[in-house]
Amino acid sequence: MTGHPEGGRPLIRQGGDGRAQRGLPGPGAHPLQGGRSVGRTIVGVGLVLSLAFGTLAATAGYWQVVVSDELVQRPDNPSLVAARQNAVRGLIRDRDGEVLAGNEMGADGLPYRTYIDDTVSPVVGYASRRYGTAGLERAWDAQLTGLASGDPRRDLLRKFDPDPSDPEDLTVGLSLSLQRQAVKLLGRDRGAVVMIDARSGEVLVLASTPTYDASAIADPATSDEAFGALREDPAKPLLPRATQGLYVPGSVFKIVTAAAGLDSGAITPATTYPEQPQAEKDGLLVSGFRVRDGHHPRTGNRALDLTEATEVSCNIYYALTGLGAGGGALAATAGRFGFGSELPFELPTSVSQVTNGGGPLPGGFADDVELANAAYGQAETLATPLQMALVATTIANDGVLMAPHIVTSLTDGAGRVQRIEPSAVRRVLDVGAARAIRAAMTRAVEGDLGKAYTSGAKVPGVLTAGKSGTAELGGTGEPHSWFIGFAPADAPQVAIAVLVEKGGRGGERAAPVAGALMAAYFDTVGG
Amino acid sequence: MSVTPPASPAVTTLGSLIGGIRPRRRGREAVLLVAVGVTLVVGSLSLGSTESWLASRVPGSDVGPEAMLADAVQLAVFLGIFAAIHLAQVITGRRTDQVLLPAVALLGGIGLILMERLPQDLAGSLGGLSRTQLIWWLLAGATLGTLAIVVRSDAWLRRYKYSWAAFGIALLLLTFVLGEEVNGARLSLSVGPFSVQPSELLKVVLVVFLAGYLSEFRPLLAEGAMRLGPLRLPPLPYLVPMIAMWAIALGIVVIQRDLGAALLFFAVFLLLLFIATARWSYVVLGLLLFAAGSMLAYGLFEHVQTRVDIWLDPWSDPLGDGYQVIQALIAFARGGLIGTGLGAGLPTVGGRLPIPAVHTDFPLAALGEELGLIGVLAILGIYLVIVERGLRIAASAADEFRAILAAGLALVVGVQAFIIAAGTLKLIPLTGITLPFISYGGSSLMANAVVVGLLLAISDRGVEPPPPSTPRRLRRLAPSLRSDR
Repeated sequence: MTGHPEGGRPLIRQGGDGRAQRGLPGPGAHPLQGGRSVGRTIVGVGLVLSLAFGTLAATAGYWQVVVSDELVQRPDNPSLVAARQNAVRGLIRDRDGEVLAGNEMGADGLPYRTYIDDTVSPVVGYASRRYGTAGLERAWDAQLTGLASGDPRRDLLRKFDPDPSDPEDLTVGLSLSLQRQAVKLLGRDRGAVVMIDARSGEVLVLASTPTYDASAIADPATSDEAFGALREDPAKPLLPRATQGLYVPGSVFKIVTAAAGLDSGAITPATTYPEQPQAEKDGLLVSGFRVRDGHHPRTGNRALDLTEATEVSCNIYYALTGLGAGGGALAATAGRFGFGSELPFELPTSVSQVTNGGGPLPGGFADDVELANAAYGQAETLATPLQMALVATTIANDGVLMAPHIVTSLTDGAGRVQRIEPSAVRRVLDVGAARAIRAAMTRAVEGDLGKAYTSGAKVPGVLTAGKSGTAELGGTGEPHSWFIGFAPADAPQVAIAVLVEKGGRGGERAAPVAGALMAAYFDTVGG
Repeated sequence: MSVTPPASPAVTTLGSLIGGIRPRRRGREAVLLVAVGVTLVVGSLSLGSTESWLASRVPGSDVGPEAMLADAVQLAVFLGIFAAIHLAQVITGRRTDQVLLPAVALLGGIGLILMERLPQDLAGSLGGLSRTQLIWWLLAGATLGTLAIVVRSDAWLRRYKYSWAAFGIALLLLTFVLGEEVNGARLSLSVGPFSVQPSELLKVVLVVFLAGYLSEFRPLLAEGAMRLGPLRLPPLPYLVPMIAMWAIALGIVVIQRDLGAALLFFAVFLLLLFIATARWSYVVLGLLLFAAGSMLAYGLFEHVQTRVDIWLDPWSDPLGDGYQVIQALIAFARGGLIGTGLGAGLPTVGGRLPIPAVHTDFPLAALGEELGLIGVLAILGIYLVIVERGLRIAASAADEFRAILAAGLALVVGVQAFIIAAGTLKLIPLTGITLPFISYGGSSLMANAVVVGLLLAISDRGVEPPPPSTPRRLRRLAPSLRSDR
């Protein structure tokens, strides 16, 4: 500080000694004496400026550190949007190498997407210059455009690259032939089929009907017309029903109730309810309300155990099991299966629910009547086909929920392959309980009484397990037709969920779809 | 570092006045300038090496990456400018502030390196972006040095404040009438092949006028005579300047569409008014006027609405109006804490620069990307140093005119830097003004060189003493003031 004219001097100059020598006005005649000194206000203004610059520093810190990652990865980041226009996207191939999504060069010199088949559109989605992205095209956009690899070190080096686009090809576990067959089996009905490799969580089929022509959306020449028409279509083809459609599950939900009963200790596989046969005739009195059910003529007055009750889909048995386990246990077990939160999945999923929640009972049920009805999949219970497929997968996999995944590997421009390994989400229930339910589900397809409902689900020559569901919607409309199951029942490889909107009885409409598709699986992929 | 004090300051003053030259070491300035030089050489080395590495990665290139300076000649010339100013002051024995010059050199050098790094065809008629900027720096440096050394008296500023005001208003009117419209704002005048931005010059004129005006009428302004609710205000005639200033600022918004200049002028005016009078009531009144004016402008003018709407939600139109603002924020975000390194940021999108106005309005975004948060903090810190030095000069000035002048000059730089930095960081709506010493542009560099040159001149203890204070008008008005109460 020494040696500088201003260094170390007081801020307000009170008339230095040099001043008198130079004949300047002395302190008495100093101009500053006319009012209060400006020194204090100058310090004040200095503080204001410091504060202002401090705020700037904090703001810079906010953008550069706090929200930095979020900002750079925004899908509407204009530099990503602009780069996407020029980027030739990576290919998407099915498990047999069939190219599901490829590229075509437009007359304007910009590439656009083409898709092999309408049946995969609800999964693969579309990438359109005008209408953005959907499905896998959206979920894996960064990798397909090659603007971010998810590997921080490679991304850092990529900043130096004159051409930062390095698209990666995706390989998915889907089988185009099974997907086509699933759509064909659903026919003109609206519905969904989800088939999952029970051991790995790899998704083999994720079909939703009606499908749509994604190529028409991606082609700039037809995109406006195609997208406009699809948005207006009352059948809502743009809704991926398998992952985002919510449906009353009906009896397929009994598998969740069975798991809750076994897990909470409310029942064992041998548990019977003496009041059950009579209640089937008179209705089950719950809090003054009668829960009614049909009676299976061939069970007589026998009180059924878990396996028998599952075979004939006895609502009374499951209502009692639900009441025995309690709403808290039912909601907790369902939660471990994935109900109540978004599923760990590449595509957006709707949240399945056991109840609307907010009720005074444990688990959020309004009362015991709701709980009793929910226990066999009515009341306020809603589930996506994917969620119900995961229930089947978990039972088949001895109680462990595997993370469902579509993409199985990424291949970059240099041919390096990055595999996506299967991973377990959590154990939902113990092996013993899972095996007990598996046995019950096997009887529901293979048993003498079960066959009457679900004969179509049986894969010829393969021991098959499953559960049908007929979800009453109230009113006079046809019920939703459900089936969940897996095969082979003694060493499960593949699990499936089939939903046909207003398709009638589960055993009649959904079960044959599942059986045919699992048979096709063993003919092609499996075995 | 220690400088031998003069045997007799009076003799030195006299000696320098009659042309006798007595060299004086400026140790602190020398050390700081060397530090700045080293910093800039490292920066240039970083940029040059990155660019060389990038070039080696272009397919078909057979040159390997090597460590090199980006543009050694330009850097040498730039550092030479400041060495020359330093030496000139040493030789002439000037006792001016020794921190301002290095601070300006660092900012200017960072700006020049940024210009070297941007596409050279972005602007500049004299051989590319950075070459043009360097030529402007030669002129600006000459101006700065000349003012610092030659100005030994402030009489020419002090005495003719109304002439300066008239000049300023004439300049403004000229722009209104003859100005060219660029991007919806009427900012520049064409003089031959060059276009001049009068508002840059105007800010200096404004400070000179305000210093003269406020120092003369300070005692009157500081006395509150009128009561308006909780506010004590001076007699109505003395409010006229504030109203006039407000009207001029609003006029600039309306006619010139230059929100940044209007904001700068009004903010500096209010701060100087507070410095001169220490009256909060003025600040409150000024802020009320500002709020009213802002709402008026927002309600009436589309270009103001657009700016505010972009500020509130740039993502409502990410490819249109909000594009540049979003790109700037993303550039900051890409930079992160330590930045990508000079030359490694701003990935061009489809061969297009993501921030078209990066060299004028958004240099901080580019620097934020390449130097990171650390670099941004350093740059903000240097501006604060300039403000602090200016205010220090003001606080130790010999009289009020010089105090307010010095404070005003420092604030013009500080507030301008704040306005554009805050706009770039989405703290306030973006207004298109330059980042002092860093942005590309001759008018801006020249005006800011005048500012620093004057600041240095005022800081010199050897300059001519202010005239004895004889406020004739004060004496005439004071009795009437007393009788008012």
